[in-house]
Amino acid sequence: MSSRRSYLIRRVLHGFMALFIIATVLFFLFRLGLPDPTAALITEGLNPAEREQIRASFGLDQPIWEQYFIYLANIVQGDFGYSFHYRAPVADIIWERLGNTMILMLPAIILAYGIGAPLGAWLSWRRGSRIDTSGIFVGLMFRSAPMFWTGMIAILFFGIGLGWLPTSGMRTLPYEASSFLDKIFTLDFLHHLILPALVVALYYLGSPLLIMRNTMLEVYGEDFIEMARAKGLPERRILYAHAARNALLPVVTQLAVTIGLAAGGQVVVEVVFSWPGLGREILNSVRTSDFPLAQASFLVMAAFVVTLNLLVDILYTMLDPRVSFK
Amino acid sequence: MKTINNNIFARNLLAGAVGLGLTTLAFSATAQEPVPPINLMTTTESYDPIRYEAAFIIAERWRELGLEVNVQPTEFSTALERFYDQQDFDVTILGWSGRTDRLDPQFFLSTLDSRQAHPGGNNPGGYENPEFDELFDQQSQSFDMDERQRLVQEMQALYKPDMPVAVLFHRDEVVAFNHDAFEGINPMAGEGLYSEWGPMEATPVGDRSTLRIGGPQEPDNLNPLASTSVWGWKWMRLYYDRLVRLSADVEPLPWAAESVDQVDETTIAVTLRDGMTFHDGEPVTAEDVAFTWNYYLDQDYSYFNSYLAALDNAEQIDDLTVHFHLSEPSASFASISLSQIPILPKHIWEGIEDASTLSPSDTPTVGSGPFVHERFDRGEFMALSKFEDHFHADEIAVDGVEFIIYADMEGVYTGLQTGQIDVTAWRMEPGQIGLAEGEEHLTVVNVPDFGYFHMTYNLRREPMSDRAMRRAMTMASDRERMVNVLLDGRGEVGSSVIAPVNTFWNEPFVERFDFDMDAARAELEEAGYSWDDEGRLLK
Repeated sequence: MSSRRSYLIRRVLHGFMALFIIATVLFFLFRLGLPDPTAALITEGLNPAEREQIRASFGLDQPIWEQYFIYLANIVQGDFGYSFHYRAPVADIIWERLGNTMILMLPAIILAYGIGAPLGAWLSWRRGSRIDTSGIFVGLMFRSAPMFWTGMIAILFFGIGLGWLPTSGMRTLPYEASSFLDKIFTLDFLHHLILPALVVALYYLGSPLLIMRNTMLEVYGEDFIEMARAKGLPERRILYAHAARNALLPVVTQLAVTIGLAAGGQVVVEVVFSWPGLGREILNSVRTSDFPLAQASFLVMAAFVVTLNLLVDILYTMLDPRVSFK
Repeated sequence: MKTINNNIFARNLLAGAVGLGLTTLAFSATAQEPVPPINLMTTTESYDPIRYEAAFIIAERWRELGLEVNVQPTEFSTALERFYDQQDFDVTILGWSGRTDRLDPQFFLSTLDSRQAHPGGNNPGGYENPEFDELFDQQSQSFDMDERQRLVQEMQALYKPDMPVAVLFHRDEVVAFNHDAFEGINPMAGEGLYSEWGPMEATPVGDRSTLRIGGPQEPDNLNPLASTSVWGWKWMRLYYDRLVRLSADVEPLPWAAESVDQVDETTIAVTLRDGMTFHDGEPVTAEDVAFTWNYYLDQDYSYFNSYLAALDNAEQIDDLTVHFHLSEPSASFASISLSQIPILPKHIWEGIEDASTLSPSDTPTVGSGPFVHERFDRGEFMALSKFEDHFHADEIAVDGVEFIIYADMEGVYTGLQTGQIDVTAWRMEPGQIGLAEGEEHLTVVNVPDFGYFHMTYNLRREPMSDRAMRRAMTMASDRERMVNVLLDGRGEVGSSVIAPVNTFWNEPFVERFDFDMDAARAELEEAGYSWDDEGRLLK
């Protein structure tokens, strides 16, 4: 027990170390890599004194080390600074955008994994058959098709051609929501969600499908499956109760990573469907050299990935007795 | 080991000296040297393929002329910095956007004023012509329109033969609207269909009377003392009144002002319209107007500095009269500056010490304009409703304006196609224009731009410091091809910094500098240039 506890403490510390390093790298990367943000902020024909004044108002006239320590101190307090472009606290912008992104991505991912994993298990059972090959083909096809292409086909077909579904945004305007929950629990919102979520789900479907199928095939060779067969259990039971359970672990890992990365949004889908999510915002912030916003967005994404990995590790210690605490 | 090295070194030195002597001899025979290589800075292909391609069209011909040319695609803000702040360039292709206030000649002419040639100034090429500067001051102080027009045209005729800057082309903006939903929307030069007049003139013909505009750009914020984008100001102009509004033909019309009069050389008197109110019901008085202008002066909001440069202070005289005291006579103050500064309610803003730091949720949106601000959901939507108590309300046929924010032009076009929006706020992609023309419910409109893409020569550097060289380089630039090929014919070859569409100020007879390689060669020959056996240009 104590070895497990110290393992967990160590993992959490590692997580914080990773975030600290990422925060540092982001800070210097953006300052060295992007041009002076005032160049993007300022209209043509501003004199140097005025430009200096704007730089000072954002603290850009301070030595870079000083800026760095202020930045770290602020992050610890949950203050991500002030957006150059929007003149608004970065945290407010990110939380709102993150919410919009997650409510598109989570249903899509759940759909993809909810269908992909059982489908993969089923395909492995029918391995070698025509159903198996066509299942793999479909999964791979949607995984490799560019999302903007699938998205535009979907818009052309369901949006413009048939006119069944809205092609952009997350609600019929000028609908005004009183709260985030009010915004998402309406039929109108679901109506807007269908197309983009479907496109994302189709894209993600391939991973759980293939991972599940391949792991299942490995599990079939294990002794305990032989044992189950010897006991005369029905194939269906062996498949879902014994093999699938064991094959789920890598799928869960993949799921965690996918959710973590999804925090950044799928820029392409958000652009194609004009979905006001974090991915679109990151793209804009890089375009406008708005580095407080850009670096905070990337940091939030990193925090998601690190946290979800941590959760998976913790989950493993509980689910799989073979995990040792080294 | 050491001695051998020394020997080699000595031998090399000797050979170098001999070589140098020989070359010097060879050159002194013709007394001419190759013209230094030229770096042509432009934007990256991903930022703007048109300017990128234009650079290669130019470079190709310059090489034919015997020049060594190096095209440098540069990331946009780096290019801006090298152009304005460091003035570290030979020749640069950049652009000026045609904002309505630039229809007054003041701004574009100032880009050739020698007093703007300092780092960060508007004249990075460093053109210096005392006669031009002299005329510039005269026109900017001349309140007599005809006299000012004459001076402005004279300035264009004066600078053009010196060719400090080649105006490459004016690019048409191609926009569209749904004529089954609204009619009476007229384009405005530089603004397209989404101008402050659009919502005031649009007449519903369908069942919806709220005008819906769609675009891929949104305001950076709605703080009238912090927004630095055209998109912020296009929207704010609808719910803030100005003393003067520029008509679609860019004629200054008294708006919140009943009249604008000149008291003396440096005093302008404005009498307000009687009975105006802000959206919260408070009356608009001369006190608010004087407060607004002095507030802008105090807050030092750099975006508007050029409009406020001539102003010392604004003084309230009585309930409806304000006097603007200028530090020097300024003709553009009455027409342009008065049309740019929004009238703010004093009772709301007087308590705000540093307006630039207001967060979006704390920023007041109360104006006195023809529309009332309702909402701005970043990344999604903006809405205004008609202000029934406005003096112009009877002329307005729509009951509100909505702006739907898309992620890109693809989304905007789909919105227009499916009837979600009525008007595009931004130019369509080339591929969409043909599609839009094929749609029965859409009208496609070409709007000439008075902004322009320019190629500026750095007059501080060889060989651009030579007038004949600049003239020849311009004649060798195939601008007709840029318009036909790169713009697909939707544009116009540039002639003067004041665009032809700006008919009142444009000097139509300025030297044209059409594409002509022979004339370019002749120009160089006359100035004493020659070519070596390999066709390299020598001077």
